[in-house]
Amino acid sequence: MNIVIILLTLAMGVYFIAIVEGWAVHGRISLSRPALSALALFGRESLLVRTPDRLFFEAGPILLLVVGLLAMAVIPLAPGLIITDLATGALFLNAALAYVLVALIMAGWGPNGGYAMIGGWRFLGQFIAYAMLIVMPITAVAMRAESLSTTVIVTSQAQLWNVFYQPIGFVLFVLAAMALAWLPPLDLPNAPGDLAGGFEAEYTGVRLAVLRLARMVIILAMAGAIVTFYLGGWLGPWLPGWLWSIIKMLIVTTAMLTTGRLVPRVREANLLAAGWKLGIPLALANIFLVGVIALVVDI
Amino acid sequence: MENSALAQYAILLGLTLGTVGFVFSLYGLARTIGRARLEPGKDVPATAGTLARDPVWVRYHARYYGYALLFLSFDMEMAFMYPWSVVYRQEGLVALLDMGVFLAILFLGLLYGWSQGALRRQ
Repeated sequence: MNIVIILLTLAMGVYFIAIVEGWAVHGRISLSRPALSALALFGRESLLVRTPDRLFFEAGPILLLVVGLLAMAVIPLAPGLIITDLATGALFLNAALAYVLVALIMAGWGPNGGYAMIGGWRFLGQFIAYAMLIVMPITAVAMRAESLSTTVIVTSQAQLWNVFYQPIGFVLFVLAAMALAWLPPLDLPNAPGDLAGGFEAEYTGVRLAVLRLARMVIILAMAGAIVTFYLGGWLGPWLPGWLWSIIKMLIVTTAMLTTGRLVPRVREANLLAAGWKLGIPLALANIFLVGVIALVVDI
Repeated sequence: MENSALAQYAILLGLTLGTVGFVFSLYGLARTIGRARLEPGKDVPATAGTLARDPVWVRYHARYYGYALLFLSFDMEMAFMYPWSVVYRQEGLVALLDMGVFLAILFLGLLYGWSQGALRRQ
C-alpha cells in the first residue's frame, strides 16, 4: 500500500518538476505541456544508430530509472510512509546514486557517436568532483543521529534542523546534488547549446522519454535526500507530516531548477579544482566541527 | 520495524524488476503505434549528417587522472567512516582523536599531492 501511495506521489512530483522546468527554460507556465510532449515523444520514431553497443544503449535509460526509484525507496515522507526502512538507508542511498555515473557512461558509450561519448566522459570528471561532497556531509549527519536509518536521521533533528546544526555540510550537499542531477550551471554531460544534447543526442522517441523521466525522478530523489538529511523531513507544526515533506521537497526542487540558470556554466576543470581545493577541506572541517559539537552539546 | 531485512531487500528487488517491466511495456506500446522507417542517412550519429572521420571508441587521455587517484584513497577512507560515524557518540573523545589522526594524515596527503601538481588539468 505504501509503495502505491509513494509511487503516485512521485508521479505527481515528476509532473510538477516538468512544469517548473518548462517555466524556467521557456518562461511560461503551461500545465498541459509535459503531457503533450510526453505523448509526442511516444509517437515519434525511436531510432537506432548505425553500429551501436546495443546492450549499453538500451541499458542506460533503464538503469537510470531503476537507480532513481531505488534512491527514492529509502526517503521517508511521514512516519511509516516509506518503501523500505533499511537500517543502512543513508549508505544504500549512496550506493544507488553511484550508479548514476554508470548509467550515463553507458548512455554515452552505447550509440558510438562523438557528442554522446564526450558527454559521458565529461560526467566522469564531474563525478570525481562531486562524489566526495555527497558522502562526507552524509557522514556528519549520521554522526549526529548515531544511525544510518533515514527515519532516525529525521527524528534526530526534532530540536534543531541540520541546516542550522551543520550549515557548511548543507551548502556542499546541495551543490553536489545539483552536480549529480546535472542541473545548470553544472549540466556538463548534456550541455544544451554546446554538445548537441551530449549523451542524450542519439536517443529519440520512447527511449528519450524514459531518459527524461529517469532524470526527473533523480532530481526528486535528491530533493528528498536534502529534505531528509538537512530540513527535518516530515517535522513541522500544524500540518500533517506527509504534507510537510511534500511542501519542503517542492520548494527545494523549485529552487534547484530555477536558481542555477542565473549562473554561467562551470567548466569541468574548474569544477574539479573547486571541489578538491575548496570543497573537500570544507567537508573535512564540517566533520570535525560536528564531531566537537556532538560531544559538547547533547542535541 | 516489522519487516525483516530480507523482506525489505525483496521489496527492493521487486521494485527493480517492476521498473524494468514498466519500461519494456512502454517500449512495447510504442512499437504497436509504429516502427521506425528505414531511410538512408537516418542512422548516422549526430555529427552534422556525415559519418565521423575518427572512431569514437578509442583511448582518451583522462586529464583529471591526478584527481582520480586521490579520489580512490578518499573513497576507501569513506568506507571506514560510515561505521565510525554510527558509534561516534558512544565512543566519545577517543573516536574523535582516532579519526582525527587518520584524516589529518589523509589531508596531508591531499596537500602533498596539491603541492606536486596533482590537482590540475594535466
